[in-house]
Amino acid sequence: MDILIALSPIVAVSVGALLLMLAEAFSKQRSGIALGAAVIQASGAVFAGAVWIYGLDALSGLDVLKPWLIVDRFTLFFDMLICLGGALASLLAGGYLREHRIERGEFYALMLFATIGAMMIASAGDTLTLFIGLETMSIGAYAMTAFRRGSQRSTEAAVKYFLLGSFAAALLLYGFALLYGATGHTDLAGLAASLKGNETQFPQLAVIGMLLVIVGLAFKVSAVPFHAWTPDAYEGAPTPATSYMAVAVKAGAFAMLMRVLFVAFGDERSMSWFAGWPPVVAALAVVTMSVANLIAGRQESVKRMLAYSSIAHAGYLLVGVVCATRGGEALSSVLFYLLTYTVSTIGAFGGLILCGSYGKEAVSYEDLSGLGKRNPAVALPLAFFCMSLAGIPPTAGFFGKWYLIKSAMDGGFHWLAIIALVNSVFGAYYYLRVLVFLYMREPAAGAPVAVPMKSGYVAAALILAAVFVVMLGLSPDSAIDVATKATIAVQ
Amino acid sequence: MNQHLPAQIFMYTAAAFAVFGALGAAFSKNPIRGAMGLLVLILSIAVMFLSLHAEFLAFIQLIVYAGAIVVLFLFVIMLLGPSATSPADKRGLLVRAFGGSLFGLSAIGLIALCVNSLLKTPLEVVPATEDFGHVNAFGAELFARAVVPFELSSALLMVAVVGAIAVARGRHTDDDAQGNAVARQSSATSVAATKES
Repeated sequence: MDILIALSPIVAVSVGALLLMLAEAFSKQRSGIALGAAVIQASGAVFAGAVWIYGLDALSGLDVLKPWLIVDRFTLFFDMLICLGGALASLLAGGYLREHRIERGEFYALMLFATIGAMMIASAGDTLTLFIGLETMSIGAYAMTAFRRGSQRSTEAAVKYFLLGSFAAALLLYGFALLYGATGHTDLAGLAASLKGNETQFPQLAVIGMLLVIVGLAFKVSAVPFHAWTPDAYEGAPTPATSYMAVAVKAGAFAMLMRVLFVAFGDERSMSWFAGWPPVVAALAVVTMSVANLIAGRQESVKRMLAYSSIAHAGYLLVGVVCATRGGEALSSVLFYLLTYTVSTIGAFGGLILCGSYGKEAVSYEDLSGLGKRNPAVALPLAFFCMSLAGIPPTAGFFGKWYLIKSAMDGGFHWLAIIALVNSVFGAYYYLRVLVFLYMREPAAGAPVAVPMKSGYVAAALILAAVFVVMLGLSPDSAIDVATKATIAVQ
Repeated sequence: MNQHLPAQIFMYTAAAFAVFGALGAAFSKNPIRGAMGLLVLILSIAVMFLSLHAEFLAFIQLIVYAGAIVVLFLFVIMLLGPSATSPADKRGLLVRAFGGSLFGLSAIGLIALCVNSLLKTPLEVVPATEDFGHVNAFGAELFARAVVPFELSSALLMVAVVGAIAVARGRHTDDDAQGNAVARQSSATSVAATKES
């Protein structure tokens, strides 16, 4: 029974996914499927919250799960985060797919299974379960990217994503295999113990395995220079799938990254600045932030700009991961940043969805010109969430960046903090450019403009996301408290 | 040493075949020959598994890789036509050569590292237990110790099936973002037809 309680978030979503597929097969009415998917994922988040409140200490008999699955507060935090992102994304899908006439129930089943995969990653304590979770999540994301098969762009995006994603998975697996060869362990705790005790016969093998694992992880969190798939996949996928990838898939990838780096490679030698992974991850962070921001500023498509912006946010998050090697609050600031990023990104993509309709989708900046004057209610969400992504004070994005940069300063990484700060100032340029086009430009005569859509689903998702953004922006304390409790297990 | 000689000859013959097959798969211009090279590689690895007493793995290797994957490759090649050779694409030749040689070099480096440290301190060889590699031992491991990942992999299989259906069905039932009412209608009727049947 205790095992069932501990696993209830993942079990809830799994059972829900199966029921949803049955309901989709036997019901004539389609409109409720999106709501069902949202409710199922929300119930996953609620179960995770309930287990959190119930207290993990009260649960016994979890040894059966060892070493495959770990249920701790870190897991529960990510369960909640992933389910929140998934629920909001499926609400967006409910509006978008119908408007663009590609509504088929498989989309929601794929999303739910991808969520299950991401939750598996969040609780994985062994490289085997980690990999199964990763593949479950990735295959769902590949198929969602390819969902609009009639569009060549969507198909091309899916093929690119699939090939590069498989390549990354192969590198990751190769790294795990080398680590197994070096230490004889596949479980993260065992790996950590044998790397710490330095009892491996092949230390070089372990180092090469670690590098390969980092490369595979960098692919999955789309850090530069392993980001090549991201803009194409994000642009070609249906927008709800893009928002799901930017939010839940990224959260899953970061859960994996943190769990592997801090649990398996958490010994002093691997975490040292001269012989371990921090310099590698720091270099990735700097390159990711700078390159992604530079390219994002030059985009003409808002969707592609948001794709590059999600790469840039991965860079900021990596800064937090590097700073967490010196302890302090850096890791909890990473979790909090992920939360603010999740709600802001879902909102930004939702705002973009709301600005377009069938055949008149809002893609480029030009499409948006003058929308703020023609239709203020529709332009407002996009403008608001772009401000949150830029980190402008009353929003959640501001506190996310604030805590991240503050913890970098506290940890003594002043240069990283300054680079992140400069980058976030530069990033504000292209987010505010959206506002400029929305409110200060007029469309050129005869140019195609986006025609807004009407959907209760999208509106609901936007209102929920806005509530989170405002709440986190006004009183971030309780969320930070939760994030701090979640990191204890990992550090 | 002497009693191991036949086993060693067996092993090295299989290894030579494996290298031969791998080179064939990598360097043959004709895709069917490439697939056959892969088959030789897979068969010789299965033989090596046998000589390591991993009988179950050897048969799985035969059934899954030789039986399913190579056949799948052959299907794809036949769909594309047997004359479909890879085009002489010169783009990115330098990058590809760089990547390939980097991978080759690191592989050689890895092997050198392992051989070096093995020569210094030989690995302790633990004799295999009586039921090592048998289906029984494998099943006990899979359904007792590793039951959690085994159960989790059901989600992986499920998402693969749903994904395949979503991608295959999507080809006929949707249209480009341009808006094509005819395609839309025909898709609606075909969906209705599949529902009734």
